[in-house]
Amino acid sequence: MNWQFFVEVLVSGLLAGIMYSLVALGFVLIYKASGVFNFAQGAMVFFAALTFVSLVERGMNFWIAVVVTLAVMVVVGIAIERLVLRPLVNQPQITLFMATIGLTFVLEGLAQLLWGSQPHGLELGIPDVPIQWLADNANINISQFDVFAGLIAGALVAGLAVFFQTTRIGRALRAVADDHQAALAVGIPLRQIWAIVWAVAGFVALVAGLMWGARNGVQFALTFIALKALPVLILGGFESVAGAIVGGLIIGASEKLAEVYLGPYVGGGIESWFPYVLALAFLLIRPEGLFGERRIERV
Amino acid sequence: MLYREAGQFKTTYAADQQVFPIRQDRIAVAALLVVAFVGVPLFANQYWLSAILTPFLILALATLGLNILTGYAGQLSLGTAAFMAVGAFMAYNFALRLPWMPILVSFMLAGLCAAAVGIVFGLPSLRIKGFYLAVATLACQFFVLWALQRVGWFTNDSASGVITAQKMVILGYTFESPADKYMLTLCVVAVLAVLAKNMLRSETGRKFMAVRDMDIAAEVIGIRMMQTKLLAFGISSFYCGVAGALYAYAYLGTVEPEAFNLDLSFRILFMVIIGGVGSILGSFMGAAFIVLLPIFLNTVAGPIEHLLGITLPSGLMSNLELIVFGALIIFFLIVEPHGLARLWQIGKEKLRLWPFPH
Amino acid sequence: MRDRITLHDSIGAMEADFTGMTFTTEAEVEEFYDEVDRRMEATGKRWYFLVIYTDCVIVPEVWDRFAARGKITNIKYGLGTVRVGTSAGTREAIRQRAQREMFRANIYDTRDQAILALGEMRKRRETLGGAAAAGSGETQTILSVEEIHLNFGGVKAITNVGFAVNRGEISSIIGPNGAGKSSMLNVISGFYRPSRGRIYYEGKDRTHLAAHDVARLGFARTFQNIALFKGMTTLDNIMTGRSLKIKGNFLTDALYWGFAQKEETAQRERVERIIDFLEIQAVRKTPVGRLPYGLQKRVELARALAMEPKVLLLDEPMAGMNVEEKEDMVRFILDVNDQWGTTIILIEHDMGVVMDISDFVVVMDHGGKIAEGTPGEVKSDPVVIRAYLGAH
Repeated sequence: MNWQFFVEVLVSGLLAGIMYSLVALGFVLIYKASGVFNFAQGAMVFFAALTFVSLVERGMNFWIAVVVTLAVMVVVGIAIERLVLRPLVNQPQITLFMATIGLTFVLEGLAQLLWGSQPHGLELGIPDVPIQWLADNANINISQFDVFAGLIAGALVAGLAVFFQTTRIGRALRAVADDHQAALAVGIPLRQIWAIVWAVAGFVALVAGLMWGARNGVQFALTFIALKALPVLILGGFESVAGAIVGGLIIGASEKLAEVYLGPYVGGGIESWFPYVLALAFLLIRPEGLFGERRIERV
Repeated sequence: MLYREAGQFKTTYAADQQVFPIRQDRIAVAALLVVAFVGVPLFANQYWLSAILTPFLILALATLGLNILTGYAGQLSLGTAAFMAVGAFMAYNFALRLPWMPILVSFMLAGLCAAAVGIVFGLPSLRIKGFYLAVATLACQFFVLWALQRVGWFTNDSASGVITAQKMVILGYTFESPADKYMLTLCVVAVLAVLAKNMLRSETGRKFMAVRDMDIAAEVIGIRMMQTKLLAFGISSFYCGVAGALYAYAYLGTVEPEAFNLDLSFRILFMVIIGGVGSILGSFMGAAFIVLLPIFLNTVAGPIEHLLGITLPSGLMSNLELIVFGALIIFFLIVEPHGLARLWQIGKEKLRLWPFPH
Repeated sequence: MRDRITLHDSIGAMEADFTGMTFTTEAEVEEFYDEVDRRMEATGKRWYFLVIYTDCVIVPEVWDRFAARGKITNIKYGLGTVRVGTSAGTREAIRQRAQREMFRANIYDTRDQAILALGEMRKRRETLGGAAAAGSGETQTILSVEEIHLNFGGVKAITNVGFAVNRGEISSIIGPNGAGKSSMLNVISGFYRPSRGRIYYEGKDRTHLAAHDVARLGFARTFQNIALFKGMTTLDNIMTGRSLKIKGNFLTDALYWGFAQKEETAQRERVERIIDFLEIQAVRKTPVGRLPYGLQKRVELARALAMEPKVLLLDEPMAGMNVEEKEDMVRFILDVNDQWGTTIILIEHDMGVVMDISDFVVVMDHGGKIAEGTPGEVKSDPVVIRAYLGAH
């Protein structure tokens, strides 16, 4: 086995992993703020990407389209909060989870109803070709686009982390994540915080949609991105931003390595389930996830 | 005034423990069975039998299976279709490799195989709960489909990955016409539904519900968490497995693994939610509702097009269907988490008091 | 004195006939109970008591002694007591006494009525098969916990607590909030594994048993925050308590008619007796979620009783109840203890109740044991007084 090839696989896995993290981040934000496991995050990614690409195809300027789509996502997020989550407040988490599965169907149907169901190409101006310098000097092929996407995702993750660490809203969010009642008691406007979080989640969905859409085309399959993010969440824990990042990297890298080095022996295509089995095996050893805290059950 | 239990006294515990303690209910159920077993095969046309009634029964069986696990034992699963797939493909292999075996025995064995797979993938439920577990069952969904597509044995090395269900012969009689297939399905579903009802109204059901409602208290009573959860996975998967076999043999005829994708799993989950979590009757109602909804939408679409003089885009209906499905799920979860079965019960209680308001 | 005591083997009862007697000195009381105890001891088994109070006078000065000796005899040898008083005055006096001392008066107008009631009592005990039947001949201590330590991460919930619980007694664990009482109960019920220390039941080590195996040994418990199965009816909730006793499996259940049906009906009969006992007939088919708090507590007790426990652990059974509900609950607890001889370990905040009904009290504070003994001893212990005053 040559090392260049190994590095290629590893790096492309890690870069794909960062993209998983990006989607997982949307889950984590909403889970932290409102305790909802938002299965519809994948549908939101699809909705955002399809809206954006349709606007651009209708001749809208790139940046205006970004702003408009963002506005649409914020509206969608707030509407979800109002119409779905608010009436379900105080219900068991599993009920909320099932509601977001319903939401997935609504968003998918709505997106295609509005913009049609044919696939679109999306061009961000970054070619998906190997970086010449690396190819020449080290004989390693790493896609320029992957690096670009990884950087964007990394920057976004870092930016969000800083935002939530340092700003007033960030502190409020952390208080809310800690204890809803207590947060209300000290006068944190819960509803406002939730609206902001859903808006941010919409923004994250848009970025993820652009990246994945440029990579694989904007099509229905984009909704399956959510399924890729789930093992990441199990690994990293639902409440940890750091967990989402590290989990994404681990899943991305191990999935690619397994596919390349293990796949041929078992017939290939193991990407579909390998991350899940990995996450499950991990879960059995540490049920609280990488960065989660062990809970003491009280009777 | 017609629906009232006044004057019907129970003098023994056995009488009080009947499935339908109220006489009017018993009459209604008997009438329904007569219609299902006699009326439908006599009067329903081929389309209704093969495209609506048979799949309805099969999906109701799968819904019942999932309801045992999710509604009664409280373990959410998103891998229902995978268990059905195991049932379908194992039934095929049993019939193929052991041709002397009666087809119904193949179905049962296929169900047992599904149960075994269910128990294996139920193991994580001992350590994880809620949506962590739901995600774990996704692993089953993807793994099983992958295995069926990649391992040639399951499809008898069919190049396209598609299998063709053998003819169903029982005691020399071949079940070929839509009416035959309907009757066979109806019999299997009816028997399994009765068995499920018995199980769920006695100790097994109480154990499941205890685990669902308060696992700590269940343990203190002496209920073994591991046994009970795995039993729920096993029984549930058995029902799904048999449903899968019927899906292949009585409904589709030719099957590829993709027929049992995640979408089907979701659809069955929706049937559970809309029909009623933790209700056998609800499983049938939910299945009927979701099978009939697209037909209803299409029937409505025709006149609307005609009325407005427009042609609706072809994708519209399927997308509308998605939206309606999703919205209904949310609606039921918010307004009536116990689904149609609960609405039905409320209706009956109203009827009991009728014509008085209270 | 001897001719006043008759043993009726046929109904398993000892009859004490006080007709026309007068107890004026404590010595007379002692003499009587010494004789009773001697006779009981000689038989080597437990008895029901049938006491005839007709025209009997017990002067107020000796009542306390009389009651105290009676209680001891009952714990050691008794299965339950019925009393006969032909005059309304006697009956009223005993009823009042019973209310104050929290025992069940069980007083009847005639001897025949009393014997009938005794028959009922016997039937109940036989069908419910409590622990008491196994009673005599075994050691006094049924459960002992030794040097228990419990840590959560770095937090010490319990440090070095040990005590012994006697068969057939009511023992209480008291202490200020956060003293580690509930943790102790969780250790005993097998829900928490102690970090160090041992738990012995009937002389055998059961430290490492999981909660469901502890249940198998004959432990039942209720929870501080009611842990009922919310989606099920009262009846089904109590039926789950029979889980360990029900034979059969999912296959016999599926083929209901025959075995499972018979089993189900048999268990239902037993459960109905408990329902009668706790007076919850009216809510039999009501989903427990809809019941008021006090009734939910009662259903939870019923579920625990359905397990026919040898040791019953009650975690604040009276918390959040009004006076009336509390009185009911106290009566039920005493009845359970009295009629089925069930050993009870209880955590309770209401000091009055604890001191009234307990045979033995363990006082905890800051995770440690600071005192133990009879209610009288504990009440006057300066360490206990300081802990309670300090807590306020």
